[in-house]
Amino acid sequence: MRHLRFLLASLLLLPLVALAATSPFEGRWKLDRERSTALDGWHEWTLEVRVNGSQVALQHDMKWGKTELSATNTVDTAKAVALPDFFRVEQRHMAIYPAKGKSTPVRAAWLDAGRTLRVEADVPLEISQGETVMRLYSEYRLVEGDRELLLIELHSSRPRPLVYRFTKITAEK
Amino acid sequence: MRSPLFLLLVLSLGLMPLGHAATAARTGAFMHFDGDWRVASGLPEKALLISLQGLANRTAPQLYIIHPPDFQWEITAPLFEFYQRKHGVQFTELKTADEALTRFAASAKGYVIWDPAVGASLNVAFTIAGLEDVVVVTPALVPLVEKHGLKKHEDLTGRYTGQTDAQIYTDAVNRYWARCTHDAIMLMGGHRGAVRQPAMADWGIRQKMFFHDLSANPVHAEELALEKRLFSELKPGSIVFGWHAYGKDTEEQHTTLLSSYGLKMEGLHNLPNLSFNCQFTFTPGFKFTNNHHVALDAKLTAEPKVYLSFVQSDSIGIGVWTKPGRGKLPFAWQVTMNWTKFSPAALEYFHESATPNDYFIGGLSGPGYMYPNHIPADRFPLLMKEAREMMATLDEHVMEIMDNSAADGNVGNTDLTKETVDRYYAAFPDVIGFINGYGPSRTRDLRDTRPMLSYDYYIDPRRPREEVAADLNELIALNATRPYFLLVHVRESNDVNSLVEIVKQLSGPTEVVPIDVFLKLAASKKTYTTRYQDPDEPKHFKGYK
Repeated sequence: MRHLRFLLASLLLLPLVALAATSPFEGRWKLDRERSTALDGWHEWTLEVRVNGSQVALQHDMKWGKTELSATNTVDTAKAVALPDFFRVEQRHMAIYPAKGKSTPVRAAWLDAGRTLRVEADVPLEISQGETVMRLYSEYRLVEGDRELLLIELHSSRPRPLVYRFTKITAEK
Repeated sequence: MRSPLFLLLVLSLGLMPLGHAATAARTGAFMHFDGDWRVASGLPEKALLISLQGLANRTAPQLYIIHPPDFQWEITAPLFEFYQRKHGVQFTELKTADEALTRFAASAKGYVIWDPAVGASLNVAFTIAGLEDVVVVTPALVPLVEKHGLKKHEDLTGRYTGQTDAQIYTDAVNRYWARCTHDAIMLMGGHRGAVRQPAMADWGIRQKMFFHDLSANPVHAEELALEKRLFSELKPGSIVFGWHAYGKDTEEQHTTLLSSYGLKMEGLHNLPNLSFNCQFTFTPGFKFTNNHHVALDAKLTAEPKVYLSFVQSDSIGIGVWTKPGRGKLPFAWQVTMNWTKFSPAALEYFHESATPNDYFIGGLSGPGYMYPNHIPADRFPLLMKEAREMMATLDEHVMEIMDNSAADGNVGNTDLTKETVDRYYAAFPDVIGFINGYGPSRTRDLRDTRPMLSYDYYIDPRRPREEVAADLNELIALNATRPYFLLVHVRESNDVNSLVEIVKQLSGPTEVVPIDVFLKLAASKKTYTTRYQDPDEPKHFKGYK
């Protein structure tokens, strides 16, 4: 009986352990600009995903001409977090800025047997009329074959979704 | 019998030219340029002809150049037609360099040879051209100019081989700077390497300017030091003509540097025909009248809706003005105010061809392109006095400001310090208001009835139109308080027709209004915050201190 309980517990924990150890999300993903919503104020975007237990680090490496920027949002699928420097891939020709000194509440969860990462954020923003909050809903979806990643992003304020397709460029570390 | 004296008088009257009381018709020559500016092919002949133009136009407007429709400056053909129609200039075409030299070689005293393998030597040659009245040639063009009786004045081939630009220009400064004008300087940069476009060189030659393309990038320490020396020796309020050298430094670096000396920038390096244009005034009786939609002291009341206003601030000679659709939407056009001094016919042409929906505003930042956060405090009042005078001539009631010193291209930090904002309010008591930015910006204020608003959106011409509409709708959704004042900067290569389509896709009650109406409405209901540059915000370029 004890062996059965042990076996059952192992089977339940196996997906999480397997995800942490060998998540197909992990690695570097390069934006396919031709097949994605147009970036604005950026020319290139490489996404690096690292999974460590319930934490998922989403590192955004951006380029604008000769300028390079790297920013990481570490979300937690086990609990909500407040990120002080939440990075949003902005449309940079709009006068919308991160609100100074404000943290962003972020919630994340695995869906679809670990093939979709859902990230929800209430992003404090500065606009010309003062401050407001944008609800940001993102789904990072593994495409069959695990060589493509689809990011669908919805803003509470935007009438069109932003759809980004990434191609894997390296295996996980 | 009539006396002989009477008969002589009658005879004289009969021989008197018709229209004696009228001004004699002007004559001139013109040439068509193609689009080949490669150093290995089309550039050398063009450099020769542009230098010849500068000399031929020294005391009279004799030679004008028409560029192809896809040249960056789109107005050369319309302005050519304007000179014929409004100024009565009768032009003769010159089809080749040989014909041009036949007509104008007498304007030159010789030639100077530049070395195509040493890019900076062309600029040194242009400097010599202005000082010594010589044309510039490569070795391959020597037979052509000698055929027209010109003799060698100087040969730069071999002089600068293997030297850096800092070394070359140091030598040129030592040899020639003292004899050049100190009212202006020619930053003949822009295109570098295999292609050069020194179309503004005629102007620099005519005015005896020192030509260079020194770098304002701190990594080029020697070039920067030499440039600082030149700037410090220019007279107060002088103009830096031309443009920064692509790939050596940035527009932001160079404009920051010259602004810190209280100097003005007037570009671009390829702006043609100033040696011709400067010799025409406005036509008799002409007076600038803007399409004002409100009186200076008018009071309007904003309704609970979204107000949009479109502005194009790149020089109107290179942009949307000649593209389809102008006139379908209210549009503000920032005028290069210094053209009142050296290209007034172009301004009159724009005025003449304006539709009721076209409105002219002053800028950028002052009497020339400058970054006001860096203008020395003691230079600011006199510069802005000059700006006010030009705005009065041009009947302009709105000043556009731009300071990209801390920006990263057309994104990033473009805000004005509070001190700068204070200075503008003090210097321009009679404007309707101010607008600020190039990309989006967030400097805003309202003092008495004069608002200062920044662009909430910049339209990149490459951005898909459906995303532009989505961007604008997102701004409208986020800025939910009504009225919302959405100021939009239109990059010069957009076209108005596409903007008409975008406006149709906007959500909710929206109204596109002219900028003077926009600012009056913004003064009536302040739904925007007061804000200045935050010292904590990152700066892409931190300056020279």
